[in-house]
Amino acid sequence: MKWQISELFGMSVYTDRAVFIGNVADVVIDIDNKKMASLALTNINPDIIDLKSFKGLKVPYRLIKEVSDIVLIRHIPGAFKSSREKDQNE
Amino acid sequence: MTKAFARTLRRKKIMSSDGKVIGQLKNIIIDVGSGQVINLIVKPDTGFDTSNYKLDDECMLIPFEAVKDIKDYIVVDRYMLR
Repeated sequence: MKWQISELFGMSVYTDRAVFIGNVADVVIDIDNKKMASLALTNINPDIIDLKSFKGLKVPYRLIKEVSDIVLIRHIPGAFKSSREKDQNE
Repeated sequence: MTKAFARTLRRKKIMSSDGKVIGQLKNIIIDVGSGQVINLIVKPDTGFDTSNYKLDDECMLIPFEAVKDIKDYIVVDRYMLR
């Protein structure tokens, strides 16, 4: 799937367990390997992670599962605040 | 390993390896499936002769393979442009 990078800006990012993470603010490109390295996200869902004074999150490319109307990333059990409690209950 | 934000790249100018400024970077095309950066979409400067190049709606498509280095300018190999 080919995408113009500006089309990705502003896209919503969800995990495959339908947890909202944030919006795409920028794409980090690895120039030596001619690949995309990660997505930089802003507008982070405050329920999943405590950002402290940081402005956003970087999601490594290998976590991305699919890009279409939204960006779908793999869910990491225990990585996010609210899901950790849920995982323990399961 | 050199990494760059796409937004900072989009303000940079493209220069060919013989020192000619080609134009301004407009957009970048990536393949999300493989993560590969495929093309740069470049708006040529008015003084640049584009007759030998592949044009798409007034913009040049430059394969990312041709990119040699990115510092203040994006330097592309002029032999790989065509």
